[in-house]
Amino acid sequence: MNINLTELTVKTAHDHLMNGDFTAVELTQAYLDEIAKRNGELNAYLEVFSDALESAKKADERIGAYRAGKADHEASNMLLGIPVAVKDNILIKGKVASAASKMLENYHATYDATVISKLEKAGAVFLGRTNMDEFAMGGSTENSAYGPTRNPYDTTRVAGGSSGGSAAVVAANMALVALGSDTGGSIRQPASFCGVVGLKPTYGRVSRYGVMAMGSSLDQIGPFGKTVGDCEEVMKVIGGQDIKDGTTITDETYVTVPLLGKSKPTIGVPRHFLGGDGISKEVMDTFNASVAKLEKAGYEVKEIKLPNISYSLLVYYIVMPAEVSANMARFDGMRFGLHRDGKNGIEDYFESRRAGLGREVIRRILLGTYVLSSGYYDAYYNRANAVRQMITQDFLEAFKSVDIIMTPTAPSPAFRIGEKVSDPMAMYLEDIFTVTANLTGLPAISIPANRETQRGLDGQGGDTGPGNNIDRENASLPIGVQITARHGDEKTLYDVGKELLGE
Amino acid sequence: MTTAMITTKELEKLAELARIKLSEDDKKSLIQEFDSILGYIDQLKKVEVSMDAEGRVGAVKNIARPDAVVSTSKSDREGLLNESPDRVDDFVAVKKIL
Repeated sequence: MNINLTELTVKTAHDHLMNGDFTAVELTQAYLDEIAKRNGELNAYLEVFSDALESAKKADERIGAYRAGKADHEASNMLLGIPVAVKDNILIKGKVASAASKMLENYHATYDATVISKLEKAGAVFLGRTNMDEFAMGGSTENSAYGPTRNPYDTTRVAGGSSGGSAAVVAANMALVALGSDTGGSIRQPASFCGVVGLKPTYGRVSRYGVMAMGSSLDQIGPFGKTVGDCEEVMKVIGGQDIKDGTTITDETYVTVPLLGKSKPTIGVPRHFLGGDGISKEVMDTFNASVAKLEKAGYEVKEIKLPNISYSLLVYYIVMPAEVSANMARFDGMRFGLHRDGKNGIEDYFESRRAGLGREVIRRILLGTYVLSSGYYDAYYNRANAVRQMITQDFLEAFKSVDIIMTPTAPSPAFRIGEKVSDPMAMYLEDIFTVTANLTGLPAISIPANRETQRGLDGQGGDTGPGNNIDRENASLPIGVQITARHGDEKTLYDVGKELLGE
Repeated sequence: MTTAMITTKELEKLAELARIKLSEDDKKSLIQEFDSILGYIDQLKKVEVSMDAEGRVGAVKNIARPDAVVSTSKSDREGLLNESPDRVDDFVAVKKIL
């Protein structure tokens, strides 16, 4: 059967595999062929795994057993044989995990991340490791030590970051689903830039064991997919309490709150925060259209106030660097990673770290060192944490009158490569809508909001994507809208996301 | 000329704490970048905040694993040792400390 990668979802691929319409090997090969065509230009994969077909063969054995009536339980394994891309900061035993850094260029993981073991058990096929901003620090994947990832919809533009590679491979049919990490928006923003769905789960929903830590109180691993349903299927596998990560939650941790809305969730929009001229007109128009669409479908929309939200970026850029500076201390060239000789033992650290770590990483480590240093700790770090609590309180207060909160995902569509890279502050401002979900631990999803008018994939004669017949010059770049829900309430995110996408 | 948010000496101290060697060019560009970044985060001082440390939202508690020895297999140990830049038998080799 001819495999149409553009149309596939996890469910349809699963059905085809279980029906014998095509094999897991054929499916994986189809993606490998696409990768061979496009990855050179897009630079989305840093490495394509040479054993992907071997894993696909193993999946075929399991599917064969099912089809022979010997393994009924496999019917519910939705990810069996499904090709998955993995961000370069997630450990797969025996494989290189470099976090797109020179520091770990030749580092081979010595164990599997929990999310990897879970996916492996479910029979997923790992296609390769995807490009990212170095150590997940950035909003464009331009901070990768191995070159930026180009946006599949316009290769002169960024794919977003830090999980740019993962977003791009899903958008460009080089993987069916992908894993990313999100500390301040690193799943949601590239999802928005690349026109795919990206979810940052509730803090603690997915184990961080085996994922390189950036900001330990902020990080979460999450899925990318073309549909909400695809992300949901990945979450069913990777989520859950893990004894190896003490911050993980159970299904009972957060009490399910009945919806305030009569039949549909009530939507809150913090209009007071959306009036800035840093937000592009196209983004606001797309956002307003999405809200209107839901209103027409019977959702009640309320204006809400989040009084301290304007401080969230401020708080993030104090708390995050502080945690980064602690987490990055392990990269000393002693036990693993790049080693450069200094005159003596301590000089080794100075040389190795300078040689292995990129500009943005060094910038954030020093910023973190500053805010944690004696004399400043109270004024910056302690203060920022107090404001973090205030912001969380604002959201909890808002959730007394609404069930979800909607904002644009990012203030602009994908910007051009090189446009912001020399101005760190301009880059940081991109995170303005996404950091709150990390500061508060709330789950948040980015849903592509302009698929009808969005341009087709670049470099393919515009013969894929719904916007192909639209004049390329005026056809829109992908833009996402962000939905945030209560702690533990991924379900409402899925429901509303599916309604927006007509799933 | 406005005073920089951070002096070269302060930056050098930070680099020393963070164990990162900085060239003169590195220092020049970092001072400039810090200017705009610190200028931004300095606004935190203006925020009215209750510094009540007890005002922690939600119940947060420590989770500890059992205080038990978990042994590492020989192959795992080999894998770990192979990652080190320098090894001597079953030891990670580093320069003299004292």
